[in-house]
Amino acid sequence: MKSKRFEALAARPVNQDGYVQEWPEVGLIAMNSPFDPKPSIKIENGRIVEMDGKTRADFDMLDTFIADHAIRLGNAEKAMAMDSLDIARKIVDINVSRDEILDITLSVTPAKLTEIVGKLTIVEIMMGMTKMRARLMPANQCHVTNVKDNPVQIAADAAEAAVRGFAEMETTVGIARYAPFNAMALFVGAQAGRPGIMTQCALEEATELQLGMRGFTTYAETISVYGTEPVFMDGDDTPYSKAFLASCYASRGLKMRFTSGTGSEVQMGYAEGKSMLYLEARCLAVTKGAGVQGTQNGSVSCVGVPAGVPGGIRAIAAENLIAMLLDLESTTSNDQTFTHSDLRRVARSVPQLFSGTDYICSGYSATPNYDNMFAGSNWDADDYDDWNIIQRDMRIDGGLQPVKEEDVIKARNKAARALQGMFRELGLPPITDEEVEAATYARGSEDMPNRNVNEDLKAIEAMMARKVTGVDFVKALDKAGFPDVAQNIYNMLRQKVAGDYLHTASIFDKDFHVYSGVNAPNDYHGPMTGYQLSEERWEQIKNIPNAIRPEDI
Amino acid sequence: MDQEALMRQIVEQVMSAMNKGVSAPAAPAGGRMTAANYPLAEKEADKLKTPTGKPFGSLSYEKVLSGELTSDDMRIAPETLEYQAQVAESVNREAFAGNLRRAAELIAVPDERLLEIYNALRPYRSTKQELLDIAGELDGKYGAKTAAALVREAAEVYEKRDRLKKF
Repeated sequence: MKSKRFEALAARPVNQDGYVQEWPEVGLIAMNSPFDPKPSIKIENGRIVEMDGKTRADFDMLDTFIADHAIRLGNAEKAMAMDSLDIARKIVDINVSRDEILDITLSVTPAKLTEIVGKLTIVEIMMGMTKMRARLMPANQCHVTNVKDNPVQIAADAAEAAVRGFAEMETTVGIARYAPFNAMALFVGAQAGRPGIMTQCALEEATELQLGMRGFTTYAETISVYGTEPVFMDGDDTPYSKAFLASCYASRGLKMRFTSGTGSEVQMGYAEGKSMLYLEARCLAVTKGAGVQGTQNGSVSCVGVPAGVPGGIRAIAAENLIAMLLDLESTTSNDQTFTHSDLRRVARSVPQLFSGTDYICSGYSATPNYDNMFAGSNWDADDYDDWNIIQRDMRIDGGLQPVKEEDVIKARNKAARALQGMFRELGLPPITDEEVEAATYARGSEDMPNRNVNEDLKAIEAMMARKVTGVDFVKALDKAGFPDVAQNIYNMLRQKVAGDYLHTASIFDKDFHVYSGVNAPNDYHGPMTGYQLSEERWEQIKNIPNAIRPEDI
Repeated sequence: MDQEALMRQIVEQVMSAMNKGVSAPAAPAGGRMTAANYPLAEKEADKLKTPTGKPFGSLSYEKVLSGELTSDDMRIAPETLEYQAQVAESVNREAFAGNLRRAAELIAVPDERLLEIYNALRPYRSTKQELLDIAGELDGKYGAKTAAALVREAAEVYEKRDRLKKF
């Protein structure tokens, strides 16, 4: 006889997910592996000669880079000699300040960081996040893509996402040659929705930089680093090329962050028998050593790997915390789809959403999942109201707010018309009124008419050859009768001249005032300190349109 | 000045003084930038210039429309990145400050050449001599000393780890 209870359980979404037992020898272990190196450091003549059990002669490229660039030597021997449990306790002690913690954690090795966070429960990790993230107030980032690479839809979705509260937006492509259109549609749509939103287009490294240089984007994030040398080589980069790339971006006034995450090394077959978290700690040390202001981490596109092993979701939160312990802007993933279970996908986001991080998702899909070109997201446009209600239930700021349908329709329509006008003035293939209408009311690309892809791609090639830049967008939008959107694009370009937003964990408000770890540092030190919801913000979050009001009864 | 503007100014001055006393180091001789000067676009606009020598405060939307400002003007200048590096140091972000200084050196390198150098630094792309030549170019032609040092360091490490171009 078969149990009917077990039959029902077997059919549950959670049992369609994949799980695997720990196998430390090949790196299929989230954290606390018996094969992780023991923390150690030896400094001679101002140079690290031994780190985490290896002497300099045995250093691989990552060890060399980390030892030479990532660790503050002045306090290193003292910090390494401290008991990891004591440091872990300081992290959750409200009487020990963020700065005091950083004095320790910026002076220790990857193995030590791994050991410290290994002492924390998930709730303690969340307490650590609350105290250690760089910026006072949390924010959120979204993905804006679609399977057709339809630029009108990108502009409209970006404008809606702007009204809903996202501070940053990321697009990418189905067809690589569409990238310039996607980037400019995102830029225009975001600025039409709410001034001051930063936008990026995820592409191959050199191409991504090129679009930034041309003023099509305002920041970059898809600069991947890996925790073992062979995987780094497979990614066609080294810590040195990536450090150089980081400086290339800053030299053009562009904000940037690196990307890494647990599971990438074991997925690519070169984990060298180390835990996922230890390898991620190496990635974050490389990020720190390259002098980059921040990271997108939290397994990101490899989430299926840690999610399959015991304690994997805890490890993802732990890697976010390590980024914060290195004083990096923390952009905490919660992106790629990893489960069939709605319960699991909410639980996976609880640590970052409830604690608040610099960017809780990276990103939240601003489209239905079928249009998400980053292989789906843990949260998508169909979940907007769930996210809003969770914020309201828990009295937290997840970066979004409830919106009115008429406001969204207005913003979508304006963005689509602005892009239509800009295309016309730049001599690009026309955007028809039918497309504008469809984008205004669309849920996704299934509701959009098809464009002539060949014609678009030819026009893109010609546009790039005649070196169109962001300055041309400003002129075209003004001429097309959208001076307010044009002003916003101009203001973003102007910010690149000043460089304030290069700093750790920057965001802009609608008046282009920057908030970062410099002028809005997280000062949490216990109850009723740190970021507190203002009355105005709480009103915004709690006032959902479908709540019954006593006066209506 | 109305009451609110006055109060705002007083509060800003007090906060700026507090910042100097507590988290940000006092400005030493030579007027180094600190967190108290940030954001520079708002507080130090008169000290910022474009790489083409135009004052930051003179930038305007109208000048973009008239063509008086071009994309060459809408870029960051080495001095500005140095100021931002000083701000970063005042909040103990010295690694980030180092990146900004390396970036300041690279402003002079044209877009195309910068992309070529980045690609040359990828694994198995260059011989040791090719990397050393790039370092010489960065150093000699652009005065990019720390960027050149990074490339030389890479040349040594790539040789040791067998990541140079194979024939």
